[in-house]
Amino acid sequence: MENAWLIPLFPLLSFLVLLLFGKRLKEASAYVGILLTLASLVFSVIVLVARLTDATFKAEADWLQIGDLQLTVGFEVNQLNALMLVIVSLVSFLVHTYSKGYMHGDERFPVFYAYLGLFTFAMLGLVLSPNLLQTYIFWELVGVGSFLLIGFYFNKESAKAAAKKAFIMTRIGDVGLLIGMILLFWQTGSFEYDEIFASVHAGEVSGTMITLTSILIFIGAVGKSGQFPLHTWLPDAMEGPTPVSALIHAATMVAAGVYLVATMFPLFAASDTAMSTVAIVGAFTAIFAATIGLTQTDIKRVLAYSTVSQLGYMMLALGAAGYVAGVFHLMTHAFFKALLFLAAGSVIHAVHTQDIEKMGGLWKKLSFTAPLFLIGTLAISGVPLFSGFFSKDEILIAAWANGNYVLFWLAVIAAFFTAFYMFRLFFMVFAGKERSDMKKVHESPFTMTGPMIVLGILAVVSGYVNTPWFGTFLGDWLVDGNEALGHGHIEGPAWIMIVATVVSLAGIYLAYLMYSKKTLARDWFTSRAPTLYSIVVNKYFIDEIYNSTFVYATKAVSLFLRFIELFLVEGLVKSVTGIVKGLGKTGSKLQSGQVQTYSTVAFVGLAVLLIIFALTGGYF
Amino acid sequence: MNGVPVSAYLALALILFCIGLYGALTKRNTIIVLISIELMLNAVNINLITFSKMGIAPSITGQIFAVFVIAVAAAEVAVGIAILLALYRNRKTVNIDEMNELKH
Amino acid sequence: MTFSGEFLAFILLALVAISGGVLLLNLTKVVHMVVALVFTFISIAGIYILLSAEFLAVVQVLIYSGAISIIMLFGIMLTKHNDEEEATAKGGKWRKAFLLLGVLAFGAVFYAGIYNLDFGSTPVALHENNAEQIGISLFSDYVIPFELMSVLLLVAFVGAIVLSKKDEEKEGEKE
Repeated sequence: MENAWLIPLFPLLSFLVLLLFGKRLKEASAYVGILLTLASLVFSVIVLVARLTDATFKAEADWLQIGDLQLTVGFEVNQLNALMLVIVSLVSFLVHTYSKGYMHGDERFPVFYAYLGLFTFAMLGLVLSPNLLQTYIFWELVGVGSFLLIGFYFNKESAKAAAKKAFIMTRIGDVGLLIGMILLFWQTGSFEYDEIFASVHAGEVSGTMITLTSILIFIGAVGKSGQFPLHTWLPDAMEGPTPVSALIHAATMVAAGVYLVATMFPLFAASDTAMSTVAIVGAFTAIFAATIGLTQTDIKRVLAYSTVSQLGYMMLALGAAGYVAGVFHLMTHAFFKALLFLAAGSVIHAVHTQDIEKMGGLWKKLSFTAPLFLIGTLAISGVPLFSGFFSKDEILIAAWANGNYVLFWLAVIAAFFTAFYMFRLFFMVFAGKERSDMKKVHESPFTMTGPMIVLGILAVVSGYVNTPWFGTFLGDWLVDGNEALGHGHIEGPAWIMIVATVVSLAGIYLAYLMYSKKTLARDWFTSRAPTLYSIVVNKYFIDEIYNSTFVYATKAVSLFLRFIELFLVEGLVKSVTGIVKGLGKTGSKLQSGQVQTYSTVAFVGLAVLLIIFALTGGYF
Repeated sequence: MNGVPVSAYLALALILFCIGLYGALTKRNTIIVLISIELMLNAVNINLITFSKMGIAPSITGQIFAVFVIAVAAAEVAVGIAILLALYRNRKTVNIDEMNELKH
Repeated sequence: MTFSGEFLAFILLALVAISGGVLLLNLTKVVHMVVALVFTFISIAGIYILLSAEFLAVVQVLIYSGAISIIMLFGIMLTKHNDEEEATAKGGKWRKAFLLLGVLAFGAVFYAGIYNLDFGSTPVALHENNAEQIGISLFSDYVIPFELMSVLLLVAFVGAIVLSKKDEEKEGEKE
């Protein structure tokens, strides 16, 4: 564990090597990336195994000494960090492998791998950080990596716009995080998590300040994790290459927000207001994004909204004091959502479109991808025996146990929607008749299916580390030695599990009726409530509202400033240059080369001096 | 023995000096400029000689200096005319306002 | 002051000198200007006599009225000898007015300084053996400047020849 700091350095090395030698390595740069992330993965697993038995390890070194303040850098390996390390490096390794097939033939292939390395470095650094300052640095680096990868196809106008949007939207959240961070530092005099929690625990920070700082930090998490109202960048971020979507916008970066809240959980737990804010935002986002997901026809956008929705679940879990449930869902979600994205990438790779209306009957063609996609779909829908079932169940129990019945039922409805739209997606892509224009469809190479198989297995089995039937091993381990995080397992009524199962099966059955068997017309609902449908299909017009309010206001302000710039600043500058120019012109006119002019000037000057001399009658 | 006051001589010298100065600074022909400068030197000589006769301490020294001035003026005119001719060969002009090569 | 013959001579010479100067400014032909200035030089020689500097008066006539004027005339003839003063350029008028003001101011200031000047000194017998006095002073008190002057004249002589060699004119030799 002492060498855990090496883990982020491997991807950094990969980034630097590819930056310097990428052009020469060409597609061989994939091996550099894959091998180095594999090294990260191996180390992460070793660290995790060691952490299973050993105590938390923390190492720090002085960085800056400013007066009495001491800033430190270092790394910490606690349960959450160790778990995140494995999740991140595993998904990153699989995505590196997958990209070798997916990005094959792209002329900026090495650059892509370099960016992946940078991003992985930042994310691993983020989860190892023992203090807020370091977290913030890596937090921003993660944002940069995400920006670069979303805008990877920078020739495409929409990709450029999406990259900018993602960056700016997350920046808005980051401002909240920064302010919260500084406030905390002001209050507690430290960026260290341990010291912050200690002083919060000792009651040195006032209740209002706790609420304020935790909500500000939550705003940062909202930006990064695509929670309402800063969620709009996430679906647009699907402009990036699909492996990137899998890595960043499903498994790791967006989970950073959840991770941050989880890390800061003791702070949040000290304020009821903050907790309920987190829970309400989470639950609202969960159902809100799920409804939008019902109507989308772009395969990646459906998955994007489901990501937003699932992240809402995690937030709900954390807000409802279900620390274990949130982290557990974070883990299972990372696996099955990465699987879904990679499978979707495989589909896109095969049919060269993202529009599910144009797909159909791919089950037989894609004999690897289709079953794996089905596994992912079953997992996210919460079908029993799959990983999503257990983690979602934990969340529902946590919400119920916390007494938030409204939020509980919202989550149940969201679960129903999730099951419905995921199977809608599945049926539209894989079931039905073969399209005539899809003849040349072929399965992806093994570099792509291999990672999917690994993720498929994990999507099934990762739920069994924390089940009410075989023991709550993960939960017990996560909260071991830290009472502030709550109990490892919350006992809930058994009917919740039954309700969850029934709800997800109902969703699947409805989707089956509408999109596969077609006994129920697809427009049965849309034709009855066209207004509602059009609102939902346009994503509640959130983008439009933002455009007409914030963007418009910003533009107005900037226009105003531009006028100031044009007339005031520019005017000042112009007049200054004008004066100088005029003086120069007059001066250069005097410099005519005419000796007589020169001597005239000199003589008249002498005459003026003489006059002054005569009038004043002496030496001035 | 003299009825002419010192101020009359000085005033004459002043007037000639002013004329010479004005001519030197306004005439376009370089020869006239040179000759105007000679006029200014002459005005100075009048002053020198006036002071040698009617100054605070009258002596022959003023006249000696006038001799020197005349000698220097002669040398100056010789070189000046030589330069003028060399210039004229190159530029085909004696107009002083066209001689602004040093500006560039 | 008495209306003595000396005073009459001064007025006459001064008038000729000034009118020569004024003609220099107002005539259009370059040759005429030089000739007008010859009158000025000669009348200045007369002024020198009034100031008991006979030797200098002769030198003035020899060098200024003779040598320098002739060099100038040569110079004019070797260049555009029938050149006329053209109308001054656009900026010239303004400059001239400016300069005239300056010159007038200059003259006024100095006139204010000299118009009432009288040192009241006792006259010295400068007119007796004038050339002898100059010679004695020059070769006793001012030998070094005198020798330096000879070097200066030599340099000017050589320089003038070098500068105008191509024309094979000998205008520098006169001195």
